[in-house]
Amino acid sequence: MFNKNKSILIVGAGIAGIQASLDLAEMGADVHLIEQKSSIGGHMAQLDKTFPTNDCSLCILSPKMSECARHPGITLHMNSSLISINGEPGNFTCKIRESATYVDPDKCVACGLCEEKCPTKVTDEFDMELRTRKAIYRYFLQSVPSNYAIDAEHCLRITKGVCGLCERACTAEAINFEDTDKEIDIDCGAVILAVGIDAFDPIVYGQYGYRKFLNVVTSLEFERMLCASGPQMGHVVCPANDKPPKNVAFIQCVGSRDRENGRNYCSSVCCMYAIKEAIIAKEHIKGLDATIFFMDVRAFGKEFDKYYRRADEQFGVEFIRSRVAKITELPGGDLRLHFAHQDGGRDTRDFSLVVLSVGLQQRKDILDFSESIDIKLNDYGFCQTADFQPLDTSKPGVFVCGAFSGPKDIPESVMSASGVAARAARFLGLKRQKKVSKKEFPPERDVVGDRPRIGAFICHCGINIAGVVDVPGVVEYAKSLQNVEYAEDLLYACSQDCMETIKQRIEEHNLNRVLVAACTPRTHEPLFRETLREAGLNQYLFEMANIRDQCSWAHMNEPELATEKAKELVEMGVAKARGVTPLQKLPVDIDPRTLVIGGGLAGMTAALTLAETNYRVFLVEKEEKLGGNLRSIQFSLGDSEPQQLLEKTIENIYNNKLITVYTGTEIKTIDGYIGNFRTTVVPLHRGGTPKELQHGVVIVATGAGEYPTEEYRYKESKRVVTQLEFEKMLHNGVFTGKPMQNVVMIQCVNSREEGRDYCSRLCCSQAIKNALVLKRERPAADIYVLYRDIRTYGLKEQYFGEARDRGVIFLRYDIDNKPTVELIDPENPNSKLHVTTIDPILGKQVVINADFVVLAVSINAPEQNRELAQMLKVPLNEDGFFLEAHVKLRPVDFATDGIFVCGLAHCPKDIDESITQATAAAARAMTVISKMVVEAEGSICEVNSELCSGCGLCVEVCAYAAAEMDEEKGIAFINEALCKGCGACAASCRSGAIDLKGFTNEQIFSAIDSLEMAEILQHSGT
Amino acid sequence: MKDEFKPRIIGFLCNWCSYAGADLAGTSRLQYPPSLLPIRVMCSSRVDPLFVISAFLRGADAVLIAGCHPGDCHYQEGNYYARRRFACVRKVFETLGMESDRLRLSWISASEGPRFANVITEYTEKIKKMGPNPAKKNIFL
Amino acid sequence: MSSVLKLSRSAEEGLRELLKFLLEKKRVKAVFTLCKIKKNGTVSYSLITDADMLKDALPLFPLMPQNAGKLLSRLTLKEHLAEPIAAVVRPCELRAFIELVKREQGSLENFIFISTTCPGTYPLEMSVNGDISKKLPEYEEDVKKGNVISDTRPICKACEHFMPYSADMTVALIGEKDIDKNCEIFLNTEKAEKLIEGMDGELVERELETEEVKNLRSKRQEEKRKLFEEINVEGLGLSGLVETFGRCIGCHGCSRVCPICYCVLCDFDSRDYENEPSTYESELKKRGGVRVPPNTVLYHLGRLTHVSVSCVGCGMCTDVCPADIPLSTIFLKVGEEVQKIFNYIPGKDVEEAIPLNKFEKDEFTEVED
Repeated sequence: MFNKNKSILIVGAGIAGIQASLDLAEMGADVHLIEQKSSIGGHMAQLDKTFPTNDCSLCILSPKMSECARHPGITLHMNSSLISINGEPGNFTCKIRESATYVDPDKCVACGLCEEKCPTKVTDEFDMELRTRKAIYRYFLQSVPSNYAIDAEHCLRITKGVCGLCERACTAEAINFEDTDKEIDIDCGAVILAVGIDAFDPIVYGQYGYRKFLNVVTSLEFERMLCASGPQMGHVVCPANDKPPKNVAFIQCVGSRDRENGRNYCSSVCCMYAIKEAIIAKEHIKGLDATIFFMDVRAFGKEFDKYYRRADEQFGVEFIRSRVAKITELPGGDLRLHFAHQDGGRDTRDFSLVVLSVGLQQRKDILDFSESIDIKLNDYGFCQTADFQPLDTSKPGVFVCGAFSGPKDIPESVMSASGVAARAARFLGLKRQKKVSKKEFPPERDVVGDRPRIGAFICHCGINIAGVVDVPGVVEYAKSLQNVEYAEDLLYACSQDCMETIKQRIEEHNLNRVLVAACTPRTHEPLFRETLREAGLNQYLFEMANIRDQCSWAHMNEPELATEKAKELVEMGVAKARGVTPLQKLPVDIDPRTLVIGGGLAGMTAALTLAETNYRVFLVEKEEKLGGNLRSIQFSLGDSEPQQLLEKTIENIYNNKLITVYTGTEIKTIDGYIGNFRTTVVPLHRGGTPKELQHGVVIVATGAGEYPTEEYRYKESKRVVTQLEFEKMLHNGVFTGKPMQNVVMIQCVNSREEGRDYCSRLCCSQAIKNALVLKRERPAADIYVLYRDIRTYGLKEQYFGEARDRGVIFLRYDIDNKPTVELIDPENPNSKLHVTTIDPILGKQVVINADFVVLAVSINAPEQNRELAQMLKVPLNEDGFFLEAHVKLRPVDFATDGIFVCGLAHCPKDIDESITQATAAAARAMTVISKMVVEAEGSICEVNSELCSGCGLCVEVCAYAAAEMDEEKGIAFINEALCKGCGACAASCRSGAIDLKGFTNEQIFSAIDSLEMAEILQHSGT
Repeated sequence: MKDEFKPRIIGFLCNWCSYAGADLAGTSRLQYPPSLLPIRVMCSSRVDPLFVISAFLRGADAVLIAGCHPGDCHYQEGNYYARRRFACVRKVFETLGMESDRLRLSWISASEGPRFANVITEYTEKIKKMGPNPAKKNIFL
Repeated sequence: MSSVLKLSRSAEEGLRELLKFLLEKKRVKAVFTLCKIKKNGTVSYSLITDADMLKDALPLFPLMPQNAGKLLSRLTLKEHLAEPIAAVVRPCELRAFIELVKREQGSLENFIFISTTCPGTYPLEMSVNGDISKKLPEYEEDVKKGNVISDTRPICKACEHFMPYSADMTVALIGEKDIDKNCEIFLNTEKAEKLIEGMDGELVERELETEEVKNLRSKRQEEKRKLFEEINVEGLGLSGLVETFGRCIGCHGCSRVCPICYCVLCDFDSRDYENEPSTYESELKKRGGVRVPPNTVLYHLGRLTHVSVSCVGCGMCTDVCPADIPLSTIFLKVGEEVQKIFNYIPGKDVEEAIPLNKFEKDEFTEVED
């Protein structure tokens, strides 16, 4: 921690860039996040829903976007790009170009008046050119930052010197035609590239007629068509005839798995998003038929296979295993698909709409970009990374996350983003943060017990509110309300000068509660709360009434009624404001030490990542040796050596003084909560004494094992082995110099079937890896792989090709017709084997004589997970793997703060993925332990112990383990460090013993009571 | 002209989805009747059945609870509890011969501005047909 | 088929003998049962350790002075029983207790539950003048015949859950022709079989669910239908509720005796439900008048949402209501309908979670959109 720079530059503000920024900012870094577009959010903002939960994409992304924009540690550079990187790791100087937007972001209030007046229509990029926007525009309706920008290429004032209507329309005087591009230098310790990918442009696949046939659309276009806030408002119609489609076909692998076009990789996400789009489309359009034309269904991620099965069984999505040869257009716009069945028979089917499941590809400008900053790309234009270092680019100090280093879905991008934060943190001069807030505020005035003196401020928002609502009338009404000491109208309440006015009025009128009636608290509450703090009031003495987004904008043609509603909203706000009390965010001291449970690759990587950033770690492993599953892995798909990784990692662990290793040790109890855990560990050997460890966070890396299979004569024959056993045999040279002809590998053993309905993800590549090793050694060996779907996702696809090239034979089998294995001589356990399978293409039985049968047994969550899950109060999924807080955006966190998960404990994954997730878990842990104190939420629940009957209903409904029973007193209490303030417990408590501060029963009842439901109507009816 | 009946609907909107969806409806300038008086709650699971009953007895012509779609809850599973509690209150109303249609539970996501506007428009129409809440005039509650 | 201990005495005497045996053999520390407190037959629940005092025990007396579930909860709220107690309770009382146990308001530990196939009880007010004692012969005849017994509480006449779900022992009463001569005690658990080891009496095998039981169930269903019809619960509507609850004097006695109302302080007794002066003002402005005290409908509707999932229909609320509001009928009806949607029978199984505290991901699509 010498003189290193605290700043970091993050390029690209998609979900990966956002996550990396948030993590690093939480660790105390000064983050510069640069983004070419005028909003952060990236591709994820364009998605309607996300698989496999059908979560609304924007619903889960929006909070992250606003958090990112608000974070004091993050500076956004919009419409900007990185030009060059100079200097050394720890001390870079980066040149950034900020393009002119001609709109002053500090003045623009995103009212949209300019847009209405702008005469120039341009096709909209965010909505995939399915609608038009104006030359002055907001990137999308929920964009962050919210301000507008001018598209210089199309603006009449800029291109031709005429117009300027927007400037006249803008009451905030935000338009500035004098704006110019700027170049700035940013000094930073490290750089993170999160530049993302483009969607493949299917124009090169002439046979599919994209752009020629209107009803052929890409999956991203279809995503926008499905989206309720998209160009068709979720009412899908075919572009050629504006009719809702009767049926829709998805064509998979468009721009993926295509060696001829130099695209010998799998895009990893298309199978799942096609399934998702098919399901959503069927939900949107009654009676719609959806068909997916595919090669293999690659549902390899956590919970993916269940989703696939639901699509098939519950939603009736049809799956056809075939590559579509070409599409022709029928009169009226319908499309005819020409394709071959598996048996070679040709066929055609007609569809109203065809969706091309386009793959992910490198960004258009990536070559120039990589040259300008001197990093290497791989053959496909993705960022090159070394084996076992999935987050490092070829240039020291420059890191990569998200899909730029290879196709990834959202959770993988998020994991890599958190991981990269930890990698980069080592290059930054970060110290443990003493204070929670960076800003100094005057001491808070004590208002407890004082009669409420409410100041009501009614915003005009230019003409956005005042154009519809009679603002002076609302002010007068506010003045008439009980406890309203002062009321005033403001032109733009959120502008700097108006906030000064508010502060002044607080002082002048000795106000102790403030109501602002303006736009939505979702975006503006934090701003006004800060104003209150500056004025020496507790930030929670604030309430907002939303008279713009939910009033004036929604009732533009009914000004009188809108005014009445605004009055009522103000009255409700005042009623609620009367009951607000000052709240404090409880400071929680944080012990900087981490407990890592499990000493496999994931656990070790997490421990090392933390220790290398100067944090102490307790690493507990129940086996006598570190290494876990990695001990059994001898080969990799490429030429890197897993055993070297193992040795080096173990060596690093033992050489690091900050890591205390407990092998042969079990966890007995874990008590406490974020920042303050106490764990008892017990050595398993006889006479070992228990030891108590104190730590601030926990990382669960307990791994998984091979399922103890009994199928395919595994128990009876020594010639039937698992892939891991086979790998060991290969490594030990068992086959060297001995006659061996045939090896049959059977995939999906105890995977993807009733009761064990998940894909073990690794087995396809593992089989191909071992097949290639054997082929290299004994090219004459015949290797058969009996599979259901080959799932060599991402860049692993090339090895699938290589295996075929080398003569490995791939035979598919159906789940209903599993292969059978028989000993040729049933009396002799050493006998060779007969493997019988039905070739679904020929429909014929195939019998193979096998010297060895190798089983890809499923990866199995250990039974002990249950016990640990109970100790930690965290959940498991149906399959026994640990269940993260959110499958998309919180893939290494648990809902309970301060506990993280990585490696196979989470779900099956390969070495690089385990390393990434382990590094991510370390990063997420660092966001906590880099602080000496964290603040709990302010608006949280509390138990009135006088009223509590101790029934425990609150404990059961709390998702965060925050509601607990005090066994001695027999009543409940809320762990303030864990409560998130949802209020589920408060509503479950019939005694009224639990209340949610800031949203108390009393406040809500008085908001309800304040309404004069009968009255106002009669007035307004005229 | 006689005063036309204009329903008053109290809406408990969850902060993360439905309130955001309502904001989006506004940002998109979708027009819907000014019948809804929103009360923002952090999660639909915050809505105590007594809020609903109280709003109804105070004379609200209808009470709407709106939250994240099942599976989307910002707080893991709050909306599932909200749904059970709602099912219970609704059943109580139904069994007592009260107009349970005056209570509604809708899932509206942050991107469903149009859906929000539709729900309000369509529900307002429906309540208009049902007429004013009889609780409004009754003094013996 | 269950194993049954057959004693050649009347049901009541047999049961008393069983209790005596359990106490004398120290199989239990105490017995919880109804005891007479007056000659004319007023009874109260009592805890008895002295076997001699059992002579005053009237375990089958057809009166429910309080819901025993509530009493047992008080006994075990702080700590579970250290030593076994045999409790003679009615099926609805046992169910109420189990609902309370689910809410941490008591513990089943060390309880031995003895229940009956329950013929029903008389209203509380009949206990005052010894009226019940006069009724006993008639009562016994009706029990033997498996009839719906006249003058018992309407809620009992309409009760379908008269067979205990989780008692260790069940004394068969309904439709048993010779309860004046024979006492048949069904041993439902291993614990029960162990407890009676060494007791004189014959062990036989038979079914508890007889034709008479089935007949009574359908008779009671019919009674229930009539009861609901009479009150016309589903036709109440808001105006009906105002009329019905309008006579509420606000004593909140119903919640005091309700076994499902376990709150230390009822939310409705707290200040939150008293109108602020400003509320009176706005209410008056709105309506032109307001009931004093206000919020009676709110109170009863609120209680309905609180207790309906767990209401066992014990009828105590009606028994104590000074204003004669048919509370238990309304609560039973609403309770049944609510419990039906959750597929829940309160107090049936202690392992079954309370419906409002669990969920399925795919359910209640009919109430959402």
